Parts: sequence; C-alpha cells; structure tokens
Amino acid sequence: MMKPIGRVVLVLAAATIGLVTVLSLHANAPQLALPTAARVPERKQLNTPAATPSGSNQSLVLLTRSAVGATEQYGYGALSVRVTVRGSQIEDVTVNGLQTAEQYSQQLAAQVIPMLHSEVLSAQSARINGISGATYTSQAYALSVQSALDKLHA
Amino acid sequence: MSAGVSQSPAIGQTYEVMGTVVSFIVHAGQLSDAAVHSAITRACETLRESDETFSTWKPQSPMSRLRRGEAAIAELPPEVASVLGLCECVREASGGWFDPWAMPGGVDPTGLVKGWAAERALAELVRVGIPAAMVNAGGDLAVHGRPSPEEPWRVGIRHPWRVDALACIIEADAAVATSGAYERGEHLIDPHNGTAITRAVSATVTGPSLAIADALATALVVAGASEIGFVTALAGYDAYVISPDGSETASSGIRFAPSA
Repeated sequence: MMKPIGRVVLVLAAATIGLVTVLSLHANAPQLALPTAARVPERKQLNTPAATPSGSNQSLVLLTRSAVGATEQYGYGALSVRVTVRGSQIEDVTVNGLQTAEQYSQQLAAQVIPMLHSEVLSAQSARINGISGATYTSQAYALSVQSALDKLHA
Repeated sequence: MSAGVSQSPAIGQTYEVMGTVVSFIVHAGQLSDAAVHSAITRACETLRESDETFSTWKPQSPMSRLRRGEAAIAELPPEVASVLGLCECVREASGGWFDPWAMPGGVDPTGLVKGWAAERALAELVRVGIPAAMVNAGGDLAVHGRPSPEEPWRVGIRHPWRVDALACIIEADAAVATSGAYERGEHLIDPHNGTAITRAVSATVTGPSLAIADALATALVVAGASEIGFVTALAGYDAYVISPDGSETASSGIRFAPSA
C-alpha cells in the first residue's frame, strides 16, 4: 500500500519541478503581447448588491439587451466592452477582449490598478445619470458606460 | 424607483462634435416632445458653432487664425474675447496652473472651451423652460434641475484605470468636469515649463460654471492634489483628486452619493 503512494508523490514532485522549469524558461523568453484578459491579474471587486428596487415585485416587464462595442484603442491598448441592460438598469459590463500593446503596459496595469484606495464600484450596480471622466474620443465613446446609459433613452 | 422615472420620461439624444460625443438627457415637463426636440437641435447647433469658432484642428477657424497671427481678437467673433477673458480669470485664480498662453503652438483655450460650449448648450434648453436636463460633453457635465423631485443628478466618476468601473459617485446640481491622462487626445502640459506632465491621474471639479470647472480640472490634474487649494479658494467650487498612488483627496463640498 505504501509503495504506490510514494511513487505518486515522486511523480508529482517531478512534475512540479518540470513545471517550474517551464515557467522560468517562459519568464526569460521574450514575450509577445497576448490577447488575453487572463494575463491581467483578477482584481478584487466590490460586489455591491445590484440596486435592489424597493418593492421589487412590481411586475414590470424589463427587457434585457446586450451589445458588444467595437474593439477600440484606449490608453494602454485595445479592448472591447459588452454592456447588458435590463429595463432601465445596466446589469452587466464586462471587458470582452483586452489587448495591451506591450509588456510594459501590462506590468503598468498590473501595478497601478489595485491601488485605488477606495472600493471600486462596478458601473453595473450603480444608479447613475451620467459619467464624468477624461474626454473620450468619438470612437472610445462607443464602448463607454455613458453610451450604454444613452441607449436607455434612445 | 420606477415611479419617478415614469412621471417624467426623459428624452435622450447624442451628437457628435468636437471630436467627442455629447449626450443629452432632457425631462420635458409640460413641454411637448416637438418643443424639446427643437430645443435640443438648437443646443446642438451652438455646439457646432463653438467647434467652428474654437477648433485648433480646423485651419480656417477664428481660433486658428488668431494662433497664426492672421487676425486680431477685435476682428473675430465676440465669443473669442469672452472665452479668452474667462481663460484669463482662471489663469489668475489657479496661480498659473491653467495657462492657455503657455501652450506650445500658441494660445490654446481647449481646456475651457468644451465646458463653455456644453454650458451654452444647456442654456438653450433652460431658456425654453425645460425643467431638468443633463448635457455630457465627452465626460464634462452640466446639469439643470433634478431628474425627479426626490433625487439629485448622480454622476459616476470614471475609474482612471478601469473603463468599466467607477471610482465614486457624486451628486451634482450644476457642473462636473474631470480631467485625466488615461484617454487619448488630452493635451496636459505644465504651463510652468511646457512639459507634458500630470501629477494626478484624475481631477474632478464641481461648481456653478462648467467652463470654469473644466479649466480648473485641467489645471488640477497637472498640478496634483497638493494644489487643491486654488480650487477650494473659489466660492462654490470643490475638487476630488485621484493621485498616482491611488490615494484620493476631496474637498468638503463634494457630496459623495451611496453606491446603490
């Protein structure tokens, strides 16, 4: 009984060493800009309860609509955003594709993003009338939260 | 929550101008939809006129001609003198942190003009008796009235590093302007030495005038949180700053709204 277990442990250890080797090789290899959000570490996000409508059982028919913006350039790369709207509420905003232009940008993003000291509010759960921010271009507007808000009144 | 909205259905419209998109949300009150739409059309027309006058990208705009020294202020539309007068006020009030005359390439009031134009557009709506409206010019907002009697306008301040998130929500009763270097196309120059530098990642200014708030925000994102005093010294103006290390600074008049 003991023997097989010992072998399994050994095999695992060997596999781990192999994995470490592979990883360190990777770390030294020149890196290509990879088109994955997975490379940007997952940030802790405040899960504010979706604004609970008072008297939420009023039987309103809420339409759920969803749209993906075009892939656009932003400060450090390109991304696209999917916005889902239910009735008059933004229900979900997800970054669909995030492609940073260079490794430096990814490091920068990884370093600076978690540092805002207040809790990050997801735009989807907030009751807001508009968004204030650095001036967006006509192109970047297409994927902004403001454009999702505007669609509610279109 | 739905009651306030259904009592006063809002009319929305967007208009592409000045290299960005201007969003309108207008509560009609007793006015007909036709009256609201014609007021929005006039508001868009003032935005287009402002762009024609002040664009530094259009070689034949009065502003471009002034920059090239081809025309004197007195020969140009009176709006040019008005805007440059406002610029002079903010230059003094900000201790030189806002200085259109120190920009490379000649006098450049861009940091104030968008707010000024949005403020004029809102005035077109107010003039015909619209009870509540919001004009959002590419991230700088002018609001009038309230979206419903029990609720103020709630403005999300975009998270500087996340396009899909907010740093906070503030309640607004007039103007909210934010400057930052995280979108393209911003020209944020330190007027004291002409270099491109920002000491804050996001600077928001609230106050009665969007033209002034826009210029103050432009100045504050360059100057950084330590200089917030030049904003708070002005009656009615407040500021909220996010610094490069993620720390936040707000003056006492900023009204943060609960997040839900």
